[in-house]
Amino acid sequence: MESTSFKQENRLGYFFIIPTFLLVAALFFYPLVKTIIDSLYKSSLVLPKPKFVGFGNYIAVLSDKTFYEILLQSFIWTIVVVVFQFLLGLGSAFLLHKQFPGRDVVRAVVILPWIVPGVITGMLWVLLYDPQLGLINHTLFKLGIIERYLTWLSSKQTALLAVIFVAIWKGFPFSALMYMAALQGVNPELIDAVKIDGAGRWGQFFYVVIPEISPIIRITLLLTTVWTFNYFEIIYIMTNGGPGNSTHIFPTYIYNLAFTRFRFGLAATYAMITFIILLLFSILYMRELEKREMLD
Amino acid sequence: MAMKNRSREAVVKAVRYFLILLLLVFVLFPFFYMVSTAFKAEDDLFSAPPKFLPRVLTLSNFQQALQPKFIRYFMNSFIVTIGTTIIVIAVALFSSYAFSRLRFRGRKFLLKIIIFTQLFPLIVIIIPIYILYNKMRIVNTHLSLIIAYLAFTVPVGVWMLRGFFKNIPYNLEEAAMVDGCTRLTAFIRVVLPLARPGISATAVYIFIVTWQEFMFALTMLTGEKMRTLPVGILDFIRQYGVNWGGLMALSTLITVPVFILFLILQRQFISGLTQGSVKG
Repeated sequence: MESTSFKQENRLGYFFIIPTFLLVAALFFYPLVKTIIDSLYKSSLVLPKPKFVGFGNYIAVLSDKTFYEILLQSFIWTIVVVVFQFLLGLGSAFLLHKQFPGRDVVRAVVILPWIVPGVITGMLWVLLYDPQLGLINHTLFKLGIIERYLTWLSSKQTALLAVIFVAIWKGFPFSALMYMAALQGVNPELIDAVKIDGAGRWGQFFYVVIPEISPIIRITLLLTTVWTFNYFEIIYIMTNGGPGNSTHIFPTYIYNLAFTRFRFGLAATYAMITFIILLLFSILYMRELEKREMLD
Repeated sequence: MAMKNRSREAVVKAVRYFLILLLLVFVLFPFFYMVSTAFKAEDDLFSAPPKFLPRVLTLSNFQQALQPKFIRYFMNSFIVTIGTTIIVIAVALFSSYAFSRLRFRGRKFLLKIIIFTQLFPLIVIIIPIYILYNKMRIVNTHLSLIIAYLAFTVPVGVWMLRGFFKNIPYNLEEAAMVDGCTRLTAFIRVVLPLARPGISATAVYIFIVTWQEFMFALTMLTGEKMRTLPVGILDFIRQYGVNWGGLMALSTLITVPVFILFLILQRQFISGLTQGSVKG
């Protein structure tokens, strides 16, 4: 009796997940296998038929200076964006946690950058950064912070910083949302308990609130790291990787290799390297979930 | 002592409101410039130094933004986003039921695959999918774009919904089964109504992500007629420069309804996050 019901459950379970895993097979498994194979071939517009080169592409990529530029830029981009999204997100969540008149409207306003399409964000900031038409040069000049108008997006010294700033602005509301949700889950009795023990505002913060929400902090940090590393449209719209390659990160560079220069083999090799780097974060994320028994 | 405490409270409060104000300025000032630019007439648009506010208000930019082709892009976006959201919820409901209620062999491993796909670099899959679509001659259709969107929406949908279902105690279903429900009818009659806030939070999340999507839309929709808004809005970039007035007018028209929608749904959405993906 017991075993037939288990068999039934087993069968029903598989039956229900079939559509999902058909999609996973078609949209992830097939492309991954295809990318692995493509990365072993040399292809370009002048080559009518891709030529098998083994690990030739990998050797070419790893001995190319450009690869290390992109690697470095990808890391700078990811780390700076993630850290500032974390700080701003956590800060806003604290500011907007307690009730005050108009809180719901303020919260919705703060979330706005996250729900507006990235293309709009990108173009809006292209206008703001514009040397002549933009508010940024004008305002900073008036305040005496800069001495002359800067070409933010077309000089190598400022371009990466400029797009990083926009990515922070666009994405921090997601972290804020996660931490708002987390703060709602903190048991107020715990805070009362340390208050009785004489803890001040900072004490409450570091001894109760942070430990209570730290699992969500870790999960949010991992998620935003992976998303930022993969983020495409802000850079594509604002600089398309330029000037030179100075704002390219892996996704934008790979996209260019494939769809502008039609170097599919090389693009696949870069894609595989991205995949391997991100694999590490996936493993960390999975471990975190497992530790919290979120998979059971 | 009490006095001192009270004045300290007042200072803390003042600092807090000041910081909130600062945060609002940080978030709103780009939007302010967006709306202001949308109302600017030609000579204000290209004045240097730039004007914070238009000297004369004009609606001509909005006229350009409401051209038939942009309305068409809007409808395209709408079709793709609604289509994706409905399919994701339908597919994910079954899987998340299985992952939250049924014990089957390999469950944990399969769930790990779902999570793994959430973190997958989309740049890895876009090239092979594009080449495949090209071979099958289904580039430039809304359905093929929707299918590509399922790649990054179904796994999130499954994960979020599973979290909501897990928070609903199983003994509610057991009680219903004692009263003569089958496993499935108990789920439909008892669990689904209770999970409604979670289902709508998931739907809103998927809507937001799909509505914004750019990379796949840019690659897959090669014909002008099929374009969605994020790609179509780039029509304002012309050879001789950007039509900032029209671009910002259309951006304003897109942003306002999204803001109102979120204002209405945010409570549900935030508490949805608490119950679902966050707590697990």
